[in-house]
Amino acid sequence: MVDQSIAGAASKMARAAEGDRSGRARLVILLLCLLLALSMFLSLTSGASDASAVGVIRDWLTGAVPADAALGARDRLIVYDIRMPRVLLGVLIGAALAVSGAVMQGLFRNPLADPGLIGVSAGSSLGAVAVIVLGTTWLAPLTLALGGLALPLAAFCGGLAVTLVLYRVATRQGQTSVATMLLAGIALAALAMALTGILIFMADDRQLRDLTFWQLGSLGGATWPKIASVGPIIVLALAAMPFMARGLNALALGEATAGHLGIPVQRLKYTAIVGVSAAVGASVAVSGGIGFVGIVVPHLLRLLIGPDNRYLLPASALLGASMLLIADAVARVIVAPAELPIGIVTAIAGAPFFLWILLRKRGVIDL
Amino acid sequence: MIEARDVSVAIGGKRIVANVDFTARPGEIAAIVGPNGSGKTTFLKALSGDLTFTGTVTVNGRDLSAMKPVEAAIARAVLPQATTLSFPFTVREVVRLGLVGGRSGVLPGENERLPERALARVDLDGFAGRFYQELSGGEQQRVQLARVLCQVWAPVLDGKPRYLYLDEPVSSLDIKHQLIIMNIARDFARRGGGVIAILHDLNLTAMYADRIFVMHRGRLAANGSPQEVLSDELIEKVFDCRLRVGVLPAANMPFVLPQSAA
Repeated sequence: MVDQSIAGAASKMARAAEGDRSGRARLVILLLCLLLALSMFLSLTSGASDASAVGVIRDWLTGAVPADAALGARDRLIVYDIRMPRVLLGVLIGAALAVSGAVMQGLFRNPLADPGLIGVSAGSSLGAVAVIVLGTTWLAPLTLALGGLALPLAAFCGGLAVTLVLYRVATRQGQTSVATMLLAGIALAALAMALTGILIFMADDRQLRDLTFWQLGSLGGATWPKIASVGPIIVLALAAMPFMARGLNALALGEATAGHLGIPVQRLKYTAIVGVSAAVGASVAVSGGIGFVGIVVPHLLRLLIGPDNRYLLPASALLGASMLLIADAVARVIVAPAELPIGIVTAIAGAPFFLWILLRKRGVIDL
Repeated sequence: MIEARDVSVAIGGKRIVANVDFTARPGEIAAIVGPNGSGKTTFLKALSGDLTFTGTVTVNGRDLSAMKPVEAAIARAVLPQATTLSFPFTVREVVRLGLVGGRSGVLPGENERLPERALARVDLDGFAGRFYQELSGGEQQRVQLARVLCQVWAPVLDGKPRYLYLDEPVSSLDIKHQLIIMNIARDFARRGGGVIAILHDLNLTAMYADRIFVMHRGRLAANGSPQEVLSDELIEKVFDCRLRVGVLPAANMPFVLPQSAA
């Protein structure tokens, strides 16, 4: 119903040709911008503390000094150094995960491909855990040389390794077998998790506490230095993705046909794989495995605006960011003053949704 | 002109196409015929640059292996036998993909209207808003042809002829649409482009082809005009079927030939 009324409004606005959903897509993107602004505001103003973000923002805008200086300083600290980096991180990671999902689905020509489901996140986790546990011993030279970049870089390498192996195994002569992709993903995820398990076995108590929380996924560790280390990687990866949109559209017709249409298919595939690995690796490095964003967001949007990646990719970035901020707000508020790992929230909401997709597609998806 | 010299293709150590010489001229329809498994599609894939081959293929005098994907996309468009889609695109969105890499050859402002014009040509007026995956096989094939037409809408661009590669373009179509599609191919050739088509219907081939290449067990068995090629001996040798050319059936047996179309 909503779907149809939006379609009607969009076609009236743009007088679009029949079958052309670009007008509707632009309208949805505009609405998603508003949603993101709203979620950012909500996320900035809600939390365990009663810190008045509105007051802080007002003071900041007007340049006024708060009447009660001591309380004002506490509020500013909470808003500037705790909530603001957290909101920014949520935006970056939500966008990265959702767009990575959409790109991966285009690359594998399958709506079920998701970095979390097929082991890419597990590979990234392995890389990250290796640095956390071995960073002071075996991998000490690496962490010394790279500093804050060691963790995201290791996560990137782990994710890249899994994606490359997966692509090699599942794709033959330009055709990707879905069954092989999912099964190979399960095997690779299991292997990565087993190796991660060995590392956890070697970890000391302090590392263990960090790891457990981190593996469930959380935006809780957001700080400005962390944003400085992974922000540029994610922004760079996201910036590259619009250039793939037309190529990914053509890829929906098959690799050979995409080539006939003038798309440099090999280059597109490797750019997509490296981009996804970088975005997922950076996300996993700071916030652990947050699942289902990459599959739920693009799928919802395809129902709404169609599969054209020129609109799907930016819309996924916006909706992914909004959804993660909302999930994070829920995670912070629901058991306040403690907080739930956000990965639990996205899984509780996302897993049933995923099952629903499977039910709808039963008989359509050919395993 | 598309020229293939001594082209051979091996897949998994097995030779599928051996030493084929082939020429497609602008202004002509070059038909490739032959029994199932004779290497027709494999040869067309080599011409499209999908498979590695030995020998040389030139497109308007340029070596195919030196052409970038986008240069090849400007020079020729390829219609595969069947195309499945992984996402729910509308018919218009599929046809529009023909404009993604190459150059249609119309004025930039007219590109947006090209999908509708192409759909009208393949007799799919009013289908633009339908979902591709919900169409019948024959309708899907015509949608793909509309996409291919968008890619090389002008048969001649910058003074150079362009080409349509059609792999069994009429295999799942009713007789009306077979004639529509073959007329589109003939029109494309008459306006200066070139057409390479794999066909199974020998009557349709005789009616439309300017030159027929007959493939048999990966090799070229014959080539020439329909009059030169379609003989009792060749058909028996290649298709392993004792048929006679130009013999009418018994008086009370109805038969319908495409040549009788008004």
